Amino acid sequence: MPFFTRSKSRLRLSLIVCATLVLVFSLLSLSLRKSAALRQLESVAVSVTAPGFKALSAGGQSLKRLWFGYLYLVGVQKENETLRRRLAEAVQREARYQEALLALNRLEALLDLKRQLALPVIGARVVAYDPSLWSRAAIIDQGRSEGVEVGQAVVAPAGIVGRIVETYPHYAKVMLIVDRNSGADAMIQRTRVRGILEGKGGNRCSLEFVPKNADVQEGDLVLASGLGGIYPQGLVFGKVTSADKKTAGVFQKIEVNPTVDLSSLEEVLVVKTAKLALSP
Amino acid sequence: MVPFLVLTLLGLGLFYFQNLVLFPYVHLRLPSLLIFYASLQPRLALAFYLAGFLGLLQDSYALTPLGLHLNGALVLVAAGRLARRRFLMTSPGSQVLASLAALAAQEVGLRITLFLVGYPHYFMGKVKWLHLVEIVFTALLAPLLFSLLQALERVLRPWGWSAVTADDSS
Repeated sequence: MPFFTRSKSRLRLSLIVCATLVLVFSLLSLSLRKSAALRQLESVAVSVTAPGFKALSAGGQSLKRLWFGYLYLVGVQKENETLRRRLAEAVQREARYQEALLALNRLEALLDLKRQLALPVIGARVVAYDPSLWSRAAIIDQGRSEGVEVGQAVVAPAGIVGRIVETYPHYAKVMLIVDRNSGADAMIQRTRVRGILEGKGGNRCSLEFVPKNADVQEGDLVLASGLGGIYPQGLVFGKVTSADKKTAGVFQKIEVNPTVDLSSLEEVLVVKTAKLALSP
Repeated sequence: MVPFLVLTLLGLGLFYFQNLVLFPYVHLRLPSLLIFYASLQPRLALAFYLAGFLGLLQDSYALTPLGLHLNGALVLVAAGRLARRRFLMTSPGSQVLASLAALAAQEVGLRITLFLVGYPHYFMGKVKWLHLVEIVFTALLAPLLFSLLQALERVLRPWGWSAVTADDSS
């Protein structure tokens, strides 16, 4: 009897392992083939969970305002009840004004950018990020229903953020320019030297395929060349932080730091002029 | 039903916490630790369910092929089942070591999968210190998270936790 029990248990374990492997590799294979069913599954997952991010973020802001505008001052109230109440109200109002002022500044900067671009754009708010270290992506709260399409550029007042790689009914996924799969035609503003800006993960990019005899210096601005049809020409990708010519091969090693803080994005603009709908 | 519901909410909560509070300053794999904890429980279905749920959730927010994080989560389940059979994980030290081994296995699993699906630079590239720090600090948090979850189990016992997770399979 123990023999039969043991072999039954082994058979069950083997079946579980086989079924799991088949499932995982089928999923990966379907994913690489851009299966519509998997996209639907991903769309459902994001559409169901992303509103939670928005709600929690708004709740957190309210709690923060309440804490700094009211509860933080409880000790003062003991000394002077009336004065404290007035102060708390004033602080609360001040915090609200400050928040509104900051939002106004950000929105004014976005509006300026919109005027400069002279292109049709959609305003969006960043609601979530991919927290893993494997890719650099963000989720924005505008999707297919609002006219967002795969391949469109996403920009912020300080520069280029990335491009849309997935759209869902009311959300979209943005591949940030620092993602390892991101690549774009770029040029140095000062000397018009061209190269390919590639993401390096983390918060870094590099400008590839720039010959050693090209003039590139630390601090040079890296702009979108407009080739490729995704990023509008002249928008800023970042600044050169180092240019090393003492490497093997014919090209320089150029590191670029994005001008946009890609880890704390709030409002962005989606530029509606994608000519190419590239897959990630 | 209760453990499934509670672990789903906990997993979702940890994912939100990681995204809204920790990111981008602190990198920890808290959902992975939760999956590892679930795989140490008697009921295998619970671990499979949580691995599927959290794996697909993480895949949906990432740019990597859908199934990558799911695969990583299943590696954690396998590591958890192995650890459950071989070791007595009652002391904090053994919990940290087992978590460290499981998270390292997950990292290797993720890199191999990425290599197989055509992202060789992830596999061949240098192991970044940030990944190592993330794994070590997550493993160090294992005793704390495990004791919190055990306390939660005790609280939820009257609502049917123990009835479902009774040692009916391994």
